[in-house]
Amino acid sequence: MIFREMGKVIFNAEISEGIFKTDFIAPGISSNSKPGQFVNILPCSDWQQVMRRPMSIASQSNDEISIIYKAVGEGTRIMANWSIGEKVDLIGPLGNYWEGLESCFPIIIGGGVGIAPILNLHNLLLETQIDHTLIMGARHKGEHFFPHEPQKNIFLSTDDGSLGIKGNVVDALKSIYPNSNHPHNSKIFSCGPPMMMEGVRNYSLENQLECDFALETIMACGIGICQGCTVERKVTESNAHSYRNRFALACMDGPIFSGQEINSCM
Amino acid sequence: MHVKIRDIEFSSPLLTASGTYGYGHEVQDMVDVNQWGGIITKSVTRHPREGNPPPRIAETSAGMLNSIGLANLGVEKYIEEIIPFLNELQTKVIINIAGSGKQDYLETMEMLESANGKHVGYEINISCPNVKEGGIEFGVNCDMTEKLTQEMRKRTDKLLIMKLSPNVTRIEDIAQAAEAGGADAVSAINTVVGMAIDLKTRMPKLNTTFGGLSGPAIKPIAIANVHKVFNAVKIPIIGIGGIATAEDVIEFLLAGATMIQIGTMNYQNPNLGTQIKEELVTYYSQNGIENTEDLIGKVEYHSN
Repeated sequence: MIFREMGKVIFNAEISEGIFKTDFIAPGISSNSKPGQFVNILPCSDWQQVMRRPMSIASQSNDEISIIYKAVGEGTRIMANWSIGEKVDLIGPLGNYWEGLESCFPIIIGGGVGIAPILNLHNLLLETQIDHTLIMGARHKGEHFFPHEPQKNIFLSTDDGSLGIKGNVVDALKSIYPNSNHPHNSKIFSCGPPMMMEGVRNYSLENQLECDFALETIMACGIGICQGCTVERKVTESNAHSYRNRFALACMDGPIFSGQEINSCM
Repeated sequence: MHVKIRDIEFSSPLLTASGTYGYGHEVQDMVDVNQWGGIITKSVTRHPREGNPPPRIAETSAGMLNSIGLANLGVEKYIEEIIPFLNELQTKVIINIAGSGKQDYLETMEMLESANGKHVGYEINISCPNVKEGGIEFGVNCDMTEKLTQEMRKRTDKLLIMKLSPNVTRIEDIAQAAEAGGADAVSAINTVVGMAIDLKTRMPKLNTTFGGLSGPAIKPIAIANVHKVFNAVKIPIIGIGGIATAEDVIEFLLAGATMIQIGTMNYQNPNLGTQIKEELVTYYSQNGIENTEDLIGKVEYHSN
């Protein structure tokens, strides 16, 4: 079931450098969404920007949902300025969700704009008491908003070494995974900037680790109509030219894709 | 608010523009699709099409560029999977057909004609700017437009609507060719050829370099084209291009449109059809308008 709701803003603030969090009251979306799914948001009904913005849901409970985003473009800058009490046009929940969590040891990796679905997954795994490893990457410590706690399997990385492991999330993964007692059925779940995810994907493929990625694409409708949010998948000769095989839609076939089925996260 | 094209009556002049409302079922959770005067479905082609490589869309000022490349499941699957759903709708259905050659168009129509669909007509896409063989060769050529229209006319008694491109020297000539070929109506306009460049990468924002511009940005272009066509043909015109409000609808009617289609703004507001319908009712009653016909082509020129 897809809902269109006027979500009431009850919290909107910068939680770390350039990164904003907004909480909405949106009962329909909240009670029907699963970690990994997204909402398609209309930042304002101004025609200057005609397109909605797809945003991963960072949490859902008690009739509320939250989103976490970087204020980088015109749409997200409008969002960062929403005031408390404002009603925002939301469509959701949309897309697929993180799956297969019980049958593996999840290593979940987020960074930059991709932290929302990873945080949501982290909380789901805590709730369902599934042991896992969390890796979060940022350029420097100002972009992180929780502590580096290796004893709890929470690892932060920073490009400049100002907090946690120095380097990117792949460096963090390399320093943790081979030395630890991660079981053979470890599986990576990741979301972040395309370059980061591609690094994680390459590492996963080289090490025969299963991996799922929540991809971000440009998107208009979010419900399979406009066919704009294309993700290229590997195809065999026989299905090469059929509809939605080679060019899948992030909104309907994703946003989560297996690292093996796509050519690249970029 | 009822309008007629030939013998087919629509409950309102509001239709969905092809490709912007799928087959109607995608929005069902949120919207009562039967509030529309009619649904025009996404282009179907003789064979399945994978479409163009990404990126396929880009946002521009008050609009968007697209280059989808007619991605669709092909007419065989369309008949199997989509027609049964469309047959359940209370509103009128018009099927949009695209093709890469005359044979493609004709075979697709023949298959749909024998498919037991309840659809009331066809809109023929001879104006897709995003596919090399996407019918635009027909849409820019009067002779080919007339011949294709004639051939399709022979194959159906349902409504036959030719969808015109603004990317031509004289749209009114193409409209006359469609009229001469036996079309019941023309729809205008398809998207306007556009391009946008990403300054960081210096690459076009669309994989195919050029794409089709839609949204409020193109409304004045659409109004001008509708009016030119209105002055050139006797058959009804279905106006399309950036409609976002009831006022926009009235503007199109005054320019000469009998019906209109809403496209890009459906993405922002899937319920726009219902909303505009309600706004139109208010506008009609506040302005003493009894019939939509009283507005069609009633633009008044400056007197000097």
